[in-house]
Amino acid sequence: MIWLKKIFEPLNLVNRKTVIFLITVQSLFVLLFWQLSGGGLIPTPLKVLEGIGRIINSHDFYDNFFSSLSLTLQGMGISIFIALIISYLSLIPFFNPLAKFVIKCRYLTLTGLIFLFTLLTQNGHELKISLLIFGIVPFFVTSLLSIIESIPTEEYDLCKTLRMNNWQSLLEVVIIGRLDQVFEVMRQNFAIAWMMITMVEGLNMSEGGLGTMLIKSNKYIDLSVVFGVLVIIFIIGIVFDILLGKLRFWLFPYTKINVRK
Amino acid sequence: MYKKDALILKADNVGLQYEEKIILREINFEILDIIRPDMAQGQVVSLIGRSGVGKTQLFRILSGLLKPTTGTVKIEVDQHIVQPGEVGIVPQNYILFNHRTVLENLKIGLNNCADKRSEKEKEEIINEYCLNFDLINHLKKYPMQLSGGQQQRVSIIQQVLTGNKFILLDEPFSGLDILMVDKVMNLLIKISTLHEHNTLIIVSHDAENAMAISDTVFIIAKQEGKEGATITEKIDLMQLDMAWNPDIKKNSAFQQLVDDIKYKI
Repeated sequence: MIWLKKIFEPLNLVNRKTVIFLITVQSLFVLLFWQLSGGGLIPTPLKVLEGIGRIINSHDFYDNFFSSLSLTLQGMGISIFIALIISYLSLIPFFNPLAKFVIKCRYLTLTGLIFLFTLLTQNGHELKISLLIFGIVPFFVTSLLSIIESIPTEEYDLCKTLRMNNWQSLLEVVIIGRLDQVFEVMRQNFAIAWMMITMVEGLNMSEGGLGTMLIKSNKYIDLSVVFGVLVIIFIIGIVFDILLGKLRFWLFPYTKINVRK
Repeated sequence: MYKKDALILKADNVGLQYEEKIILREINFEILDIIRPDMAQGQVVSLIGRSGVGKTQLFRILSGLLKPTTGTVKIEVDQHIVQPGEVGIVPQNYILFNHRTVLENLKIGLNNCADKRSEKEKEEIINEYCLNFDLINHLKKYPMQLSGGQQQRVSIIQQVLTGNKFILLDEPFSGLDILMVDKVMNLLIKISTLHEHNTLIIVSHDAENAMAISDTVFIIAKQEGKEGATITEKIDLMQLDMAWNPDIKKNSAFQQLVDDIKYKI
């Protein structure tokens, strides 16, 4: 009874064993519900599992997987670089309007700009990378600017009393002092990039990729493979999320101190 | 036996106003260098006032971080206008760089000090301070792993290491238990006697503890019928023979004075 009360009461902390138990039970429940309610057009979990087996055993799966992964990492890398430059420059009054404009670009739809990007780029790879960057950077800059805006004035005051000039204060408080949060934003935005990958790969199929696999399977209404690819994309996303989370604690050990255990 | 020597800080007609609202008005006070034979006697001055009276704004003005609407704050023997970085601050919430260890936080203090030193010399100085102030076992910890009292000590030492002779402390006794208050008081006395020109300015509403280690007290309060707080009274504890006495809290005349001040603020 106490155990039950603990898992249903707000703000209670449960041990790792209980968390694993809850995840397992809830996942099994969802799978059972899916299995019982599936059939017909929607493939059941067992059929999806069969589909995953077929995907993994297919000769081009690993090529597609690495194509998507390298495209995402390349897009993310360039986006992070551009977003960091724009965000840090926003603290220099001259460049602030640029940062303000970039964050408003979140409201621009990519679909309408595909033609423009096709004209501006030289091949399919460049088109995909540029669309990824355009899709990620505004969100990345928005998150980074909100981190910068939330820095307490006292931290800048401390720098002044420690006789740092404005450039040293920028380096200490904004750049080094917030690297852990930048990393966290990167982790969250990786999800956006990973989500976008299927869309941009659908625009140009020359290099293959998981998105291309998804669209081809959709075309032949091979739903067990479609669901299989979705599950694979979902699992890879989760694995990366966990890895980046662990990497953050390893790179910035002080972030662990304030975590509620 | 003591004498007062050169003027080292002067607040001259300092006022602060936000649009129509007057926060501080006509703040005038002076701090003189106190000389005692055979020792480096720094100054400990308290600015006592109730919460919300504008003490923190005055704190920022005295440190050069906030420009007053009227008047000036001049420091040191040459009486130049205070600039940010010339007065150290220890805010109420002990701001430190949370991404740096205690050792790194203290090194930053030394990095920007006027005297250039090698890394080895820096570590020797830091070790000496940390041994003195009970922090030697915490050098590799991050600020968030320290207690409030330990963070406060790091914050004070960080400011001392920059070479600042003036250190402002905002409510240094707030949120500390009785034992910790005694420790902080001893720490402040130690800091004040490290160098002849060390000057601690304590901004607090805690009259008893602030006065127990001060040589001079200024009361900051609002006067009837007038908007904005000002210095309403100066109490020279040296003249009253109540300064530099570790057992002063047991003195009934001192307690009477504390009660009077509590009533006045």
